[in-house]
Amino acid sequence: MPSRFGFRSVRSKLFAGVLLTSLSALLVAGVALLIVDLRGNHANQADDLGTQAEIIGRASAAALQFDDSKLAADNLGLLKAKPKIEAGAIYNARGGLFASYVKPDAAGELPALPATDGLQVSGETMEVYRRVIENGEILGTVYLRAHYDFYERLWRYLGIVLGVSVLALAVSVLMSFWLQATVTRPILDVTGVARRVVEDRDFTLRAKKTTGDEIGFLVDAFNDMLAEISRQTAALEASNRELANQIAERSETERALRESERRNRTLVNASSSVVWTTDRNLAFAAAQPAWQAYTGQGDEDSRGTGWRRAFDAADRSVLAGDWKVAQENKATFECELKLWHASSSAYRIVSLRAAPILDAQNEIVEWIGTVTDIHDRRQAEAEIARLNADLELRVARRTEELEATNRELESFSYSVSHDLRAPLRAIDGYSRMVEEDYGGRFDEEGRRMLKVVREEAVRMGRLIDDLLSFSKMSRKAMETTENVNMTALAKDVAQTLMRDREESGVRLDIWPLPSVRGDVALLRQVWINLLSNALKYSSTKPRPEILVTGETTDGVAVFRVQDNGVGFDMKYANKLFGVFQRLHKAEDFEGTGVGLAIVHRVIARHGGTIRADARPGEGATFHFTLPMGTADA
Amino acid sequence: MPDYNEFEILLAEDNPRDAEMTQRALRKINLINRVHWVKDGEAALHYLLREGEYADRPASSMPRLVLLDIKMPKLDGIEVLRRIKSDEALRHIPVVVMTSSNEESDVVDSYKLGVNSYIVKPVEFGAFVETVARAGLYWILTNRSPLS
Repeated sequence: MPSRFGFRSVRSKLFAGVLLTSLSALLVAGVALLIVDLRGNHANQADDLGTQAEIIGRASAAALQFDDSKLAADNLGLLKAKPKIEAGAIYNARGGLFASYVKPDAAGELPALPATDGLQVSGETMEVYRRVIENGEILGTVYLRAHYDFYERLWRYLGIVLGVSVLALAVSVLMSFWLQATVTRPILDVTGVARRVVEDRDFTLRAKKTTGDEIGFLVDAFNDMLAEISRQTAALEASNRELANQIAERSETERALRESERRNRTLVNASSSVVWTTDRNLAFAAAQPAWQAYTGQGDEDSRGTGWRRAFDAADRSVLAGDWKVAQENKATFECELKLWHASSSAYRIVSLRAAPILDAQNEIVEWIGTVTDIHDRRQAEAEIARLNADLELRVARRTEELEATNRELESFSYSVSHDLRAPLRAIDGYSRMVEEDYGGRFDEEGRRMLKVVREEAVRMGRLIDDLLSFSKMSRKAMETTENVNMTALAKDVAQTLMRDREESGVRLDIWPLPSVRGDVALLRQVWINLLSNALKYSSTKPRPEILVTGETTDGVAVFRVQDNGVGFDMKYANKLFGVFQRLHKAEDFEGTGVGLAIVHRVIARHGGTIRADARPGEGATFHFTLPMGTADA
Repeated sequence: MPDYNEFEILLAEDNPRDAEMTQRALRKINLINRVHWVKDGEAALHYLLREGEYADRPASSMPRLVLLDIKMPKLDGIEVLRRIKSDEALRHIPVVVMTSSNEESDVVDSYKLGVNSYIVKPVEFGAFVETVARAGLYWILTNRSPLS
């Protein structure tokens, strides 16, 4: 988060600032002190050692003069009081060692020969040579060697600087805490308030002032700013509300305006007639503003008979002719003309009506009339006429196509019925002839085979016949009867079918059925096929029972044909209504598999549906729907 | 009693199998010797009008029955029927139209043109024989021609 990073950065900047300032100040001061002190110390020690050497030289001048080395050694022995001096020696004028002193615990050789006057520093050792001069005569040389504590001093100083730095660091940390408390926290407080303001859009929040310094001033400024924002926001909101009100008001006004405009336009359209008046000669006597507005003619152009020039040239004679007749009969007249319309720069179809104003002597004084724009209406009428003609043409064309297709189908089935049957007839006929003429020469198996040939030929003939009757059912034009009495129709069919089965013990019940709207001949086929199927497939039962019921539901006639016959497996139900589809073996039940296809087709052509429920060995129920007859509606 | 064998039957049938079976059916009722078989509509008309190849047929040997197949080359049965029934000299001859199917338009056309009988040739030979023989016998026996 950048803001958090920023706060932390302020805090650490403060901390780093305090620390760096303290440390750099300490460092500069420490180094300066160190240099001054080390230099001073060097000078002091050198001075000190020089002075010692001088004193010993003076004191030992007599000893050298008088070659009293014991005295010289005593003088050197005084050096014990100076613990820093590790060794001392006095050489005579010839450079020979005259007397020496070595600090008991100190090491190091004394130089064999004295060097010239001077100070030498090497490592932690400071050496000084000083000539002993008495009355301008060199008596000898004093040598002193002292411990030079440069590094000790240096380490001590550095230790002090380090200690002070640590102390300063601690002070800095404390100071930064204090700074945080007095400087950073008020700033953080202000920032927190600023963030809450931004997040909550609550301009009533205020930062707490804790100090009287610049931060306190900042807090004041911030609070003032918040107050100002709060004021301005309130003002803005008020202004927005006012604006919204104004917009609402304006849209209401605009809506009212549009409404009024629409009403006016409707009114104008409803009475879009141009009203005009002329003198008895059908000439404009006065300016006609409405006319001029429509045609764009000026006052001068339209004056007199000039107004008639606004009509399409071909139509002017129509106006003149109609007017002449009306003038003679003193009657109104009406005609359709093409009039120049200035706004659209085109001729538009108008209806002109005029009536004569008669005086007391029954003479025409003037004409008053209207011109009504009927262009759009005429165009729409023309469009409708065109569309209708187009539609009729298309219907005729489609009908022609359908008729052609039907004719093709008819000729196809005609060929099928003729051409396919002839060879079958020959197969059967010639087999029969062979049987008649040569039957004696065949054994029983040969005759059986011949019989199979004939049976199959006959069966194929039946297939062709059924296929043709199926195709005929599909093509036959529907002759719809409003109320087909289904009870009577089903009973009639049942009676015909039962005639051959009087002794079979079949029980066939037909309950009262609703009437339907449909083609009697086609519906008869439905009953023939469904009832003969029910009879056929229940014929193997000891007590065949068939029940036909029906009712009307939701404006649809619903029928059920139920039998207790052999039924079928529902997994083959989808094949039930296909052409030549059979669910039973031909040996068990004869048939070609067209009956239910015909039923399905007929019911579908009536807009109905059919389905079956069945179980092997437990019978089948066919449910079908048809449009309800008006008698039962 | 007239001698049946004197009667001529004109069989117009383009399918030789059907023709053979028809003749066999007629033979069963002893009419075969009097059947004349032509293979198309044009030949049938020529025979009846004594034209073309039949120009020298004696006028006295007019057939007593015409068995007419509908679907034939050149002129079909319906056209031949129309010509027979619109000809003063021929219209009295009984015409039995034989067809392979009971296409309704054929039936309607045939009856409109004044056919005397209309039979659908069954596939099953026994029924075929019976149908042809019955139609042949019926018209030979019951419809006495004014010329006879």
